[in-house]
Amino acid sequence: MKASANDVKRLNNLIPKVGVVREILDETPDVKTFRISTPEGEKPFTPMPGQLGMYSMPAVGEAMFSVTSQGPDYIDMAIKKTGVLTEALHAMEVGQEVGIRGPYGNGFPIEKLKGRDITFVAGGIGLAPVRSLILYCLEHRADFGKINIIYGGRSKDDLCFKKDLFENWANLEDANVYVTIDRPQEGWDGHVGMVPDYLREISPNPEVAVVCGPPIMIKFALVALRELGFKDEDIITTLELRMKCGIGKCGRCNIGSNYVCLDGPVFTQAQLNEMPNEY
Amino acid sequence: MKFIEKTNLTSLLAQLDAQYRLLVPVDYHGLTQFAPYSQVDSGVSQLYLDGNVTVSPKTVYLPQSEAMYKFSAQGKKLAIEEMPPLDRMQVLFGVRHCDTKAIQCLDKVFLDDTFADPQYKDKRDKTIVFSLACNNPKATCFCESMGIDRAHAEQSVADVQVYDLGERYGFEAVSDKGQACLNALNGMTDGEAKLPEQKPQSISFDAQGLPEKLKEMFDHPIWDEYAFKCLNCGTCSYICPTCHCFDINNKMRGTTGLKLRTWDSCMFGEYTQMAGGHQPRPGKKERVRNRFLHKLQYFNEKHNMSLCVGCGRCIAKCPVNMDITKFIRQVIAE
Ligand code: SF4
Ligand code: SF4
Ligand code: FES
Repeated sequence: MKASANDVKRLNNLIPKVGVVREILDETPDVKTFRISTPEGEKPFTPMPGQLGMYSMPAVGEAMFSVTSQGPDYIDMAIKKTGVLTEALHAMEVGQEVGIRGPYGNGFPIEKLKGRDITFVAGGIGLAPVRSLILYCLEHRADFGKINIIYGGRSKDDLCFKKDLFENWANLEDANVYVTIDRPQEGWDGHVGMVPDYLREISPNPEVAVVCGPPIMIKFALVALRELGFKDEDIITTLELRMKCGIGKCGRCNIGSNYVCLDGPVFTQAQLNEMPNEY
Repeated sequence: MKFIEKTNLTSLLAQLDAQYRLLVPVDYHGLTQFAPYSQVDSGVSQLYLDGNVTVSPKTVYLPQSEAMYKFSAQGKKLAIEEMPPLDRMQVLFGVRHCDTKAIQCLDKVFLDDTFADPQYKDKRDKTIVFSLACNNPKATCFCESMGIDRAHAEQSVADVQVYDLGERYGFEAVSDKGQACLNALNGMTDGEAKLPEQKPQSISFDAQGLPEKLKEMFDHPIWDEYAFKCLNCGTCSYICPTCHCFDINNKMRGTTGLKLRTWDSCMFGEYTQMAGGHQPRPGKKERVRNRFLHKLQYFNEKHNMSLCVGCGRCIAKCPVNMDITKFIRQVIAE
């Protein structure tokens, strides 16, 4: 039998493996989740929560996304339509072969989180990276303290991972899920308002916060978290910058002497305070 | 030391060319660069040993455009094929000391412990470097101020040290690879020689403490002053022996394609432009600052060495006369 490209141990980190799209899930009008495994039905790689994968349609381009969840033989990536590549990705059908390489980046500091109460604060597609950690915490429930999940979207249609929010997590006894949308909407009887305000209202125990979402949400959530008494070294966020290589070589994802693809994407606010404001 | 009369240099190069893929500095219609020796042999280009070349030897290790893999994408199917390694050893003749230091900088990036780059490593492993000491620096040279040893090339890069001794060239092996290569060459004499006298460089300063100083200057008005005239043309990065940022893109023909890595520059807006519209370095002030700080502060923080080796190429080629030495001196004087 001829060895396929996926059989050889990949020494070149810039060359993708072939992956197959097994399932496509519509999250919102512009977000889809893609489930990928190798042609042999295996998991392409095993990331830690918060790590990234480079996903490519070689004829179009490649881009870095967080791996939002994983199973024994697949990884899931939730992708928002924002440009030429993501549009091509959204046009894919089940069975499409794509390029996949990873995992990249540091991931969330699991050890630092153990035994502590965690408040997850996310907006829009920002739930995708945070979700990988939520799932990890739920799987290793005894290792962590109280779990609060505060999530917001522009409208109810813009909420990602509805099955988790309203079924899987909503029914858990040892996790609280708070969902909000920006403006009132017909057919929505949940909370209405901005995430940072909701956060103040809920006023969680100020131990650790994990924040991800649009820059404007992060900015105001940060103000709220500080008011509530969270310390900057306990506010954890994940950054997004343009990436090409994922391994600290192509240069573009630097913030000062840090490369987001290597030293990030997860940073504490205390670390960000020390870095130039170029993200 | 081994010697060869200058009049016999071509016979030495012909011997190297017979055994290896030989790359030499040439003048091709006014542009100096490294090229296969066959270009000299056939008269297309002239051997150029009077000074450093304009296009740095990074092209040998990180070509301006390099295929990373081939692929074919047909319907839902995708196949990926890696590129073959170099099929023979090569000799890179006449690399100047600043550029051997620059290759050491590239090694820090491409030969790191976790993610060593196999394509870069292949070329590094299969290249024998003959490094030529400069006796007559150009007006834009300031390698000495950046800590480069003008008498000895960077030991981790050079395999043979070459000196211009007037009527003849002197050769000294630096590595085992270089020794073996020298031993196999005919027509050389053995002996002792005094190292040649090296003219002082006209640009000279003490760059001690520069990274520490720059760390405190991120919001300094100096950036407006320097960025103002920059055209964001990227010439300085392309010409720089240490600038290594690359883009990844592809060339398609029908259903097959090549994935390429090509030189990029932090001077370009596209470099950091995100698909959703976010731009962390929106203007030329941020870009000029990033390039200078990467060279003079960030790389130091990560690798404990400067990413500027003082070759002076960017000073000679910038269309608006941006002068990194003027900048450094102004920072030191702050
Ligand atoms: S060569 Fe000069 S003008 Fe062009 S980007 Fe560099 S500094 Fe700016
Ligand atoms: S920054 Fe300019 S002087 Fe320094 S190594 Fe690069 S091209 Fe040479
Ligand atoms: S993506 Fe290339 S250096 Fe980070």
